[in-house]
Amino acid sequence: MTDFVFVPSPQPAVPVVGGGLFPVRRIFCVGKNYADHVKEMGGDPKNVPPVFFTKPADAVHTGGQFNFPLATDNLHYEGEMVVALKSGGTHIPEAEATGHIFGYAAGCDLTRRDLQAAAKEKGGPWDTAKALDDGAAVGPITPVADVGVLDKGSISLSVNGETRQQSDLSLMIWSLPEIIARLSGLFALKAGDLIYTGTPEGVGPLVVGDTCRIEVAGLAPLDFQVFERKG
Amino acid sequence: MRDYVISPPTQPAIPVVGGGWFPVRRIFCIGQNYLADVKELIGDHVKETEDEAKKAIPVVFTKPADSICLGGNIPLPLATDNLHYEGELVVAMKDGGTNLSPSAAEEMIYGFAVGCDLTRRDLQEVAKELSGPWDMAKAIDNGAVVGGVMPEKEFWALEEARLMLSVNNDVKQEEDLKAMIKPVWNIISDISRYFEIKAGDLIFTGTPSGVGQLVPGDKVRIGINDLAPVEFWISEQ
Repeated sequence: MTDFVFVPSPQPAVPVVGGGLFPVRRIFCVGKNYADHVKEMGGDPKNVPPVFFTKPADAVHTGGQFNFPLATDNLHYEGEMVVALKSGGTHIPEAEATGHIFGYAAGCDLTRRDLQAAAKEKGGPWDTAKALDDGAAVGPITPVADVGVLDKGSISLSVNGETRQQSDLSLMIWSLPEIIARLSGLFALKAGDLIYTGTPEGVGPLVVGDTCRIEVAGLAPLDFQVFERKG
Repeated sequence: MRDYVISPPTQPAIPVVGGGWFPVRRIFCIGQNYLADVKELIGDHVKETEDEAKKAIPVVFTKPADSICLGGNIPLPLATDNLHYEGELVVAMKDGGTNLSPSAAEEMIYGFAVGCDLTRRDLQEVAKELSGPWDMAKAIDNGAVVGGVMPEKEFWALEEARLMLSVNNDVKQEEDLKAMIKPVWNIISDISRYFEIKAGDLIFTGTPSGVGQLVPGDKVRIGINDLAPVEFWISEQ
């Protein structure tokens, strides 16, 4: 037992469908990864390599009461499929990438859009916008053994019962094997990593009182409600 | 014992001078906290006066808790042709909160350490140009080098302290900590407006002028007065 000078923070973890907890090491996120908008603007979605950002491991929030974050007037939802890794490495070949997947979950990348806009304007870091407390909402993880490799299927997000995002996993610009391969060229991936795989069109604001549901390809849904922050 | 489906990661921790381990929760970093460094990075486009810099929204970025590295051998990180050192004072927190006043923040400091923010400068330049996130440049494995934490009561001479970083015995960075645009308690106060600070948080307080490239074979030493120095060297991948 290591002799800590105070009690360490609890290990962040996400429930697994069927029992047990998935301990979280790191959270990686992919930037724009659905092609519709890029294509309709006449661009080639694969012209630019994928952009990755991170969230703190203890920003995981497993649903239920979500307190409106500090320092924003424009909190946005971004519904996403989340991939949980059981192993990793560096320079993982695409052909071997799916062998590292533990399972999948419905997730929501919560974003302080006003701070992201300010960051972009200055070419500054996105962390105040993306690395916020409780900003990595994620539902229960379904093991890959139960669902197989997910490369297609519906992804949708509703606010107060009204659908705001609706797309299909097959429309991702960068496939899961491509994401894992490229990410592992930048960081050593390890067991316990979560990867948020990008959001489709239709992102928008959340205010106090809103309820939000994300459903992905028959996985356990993620539900949360936005509460006023106290203190 | 919780029922984990895979082995949980090891709790990241750094040694405390005098015994025990400081368990790391999050790592926050502040950019542009020495005016000379701001000038160096933005060249001829300096518009900020010192007063303006004090009022501005702080440049805050993060590193993963398990990117801490206690020194020694560091393999050249993946995916960069331009790894940079940034020598810094690191503050370790024993308590926290949100919207802390500078004086409240001061009470929550556990201690101080010497650190080095390792940066893939080439990827940071791309990120800045495309208005993209900095994480690929900053959140790198082994990218938060830090020495032993000295409890606050044993390091009272902060205002007179001087940071010195050398590469292969050549001094590259040398600056008084009082040249910081914002003192450490104001930095903590600023960060607490955006994130809840908690026990276990480390705060890298920015680097002075003189940042530069490291290549395999280089040996780096960073010292701040009587804090535990940091020493590491870069090897091939």
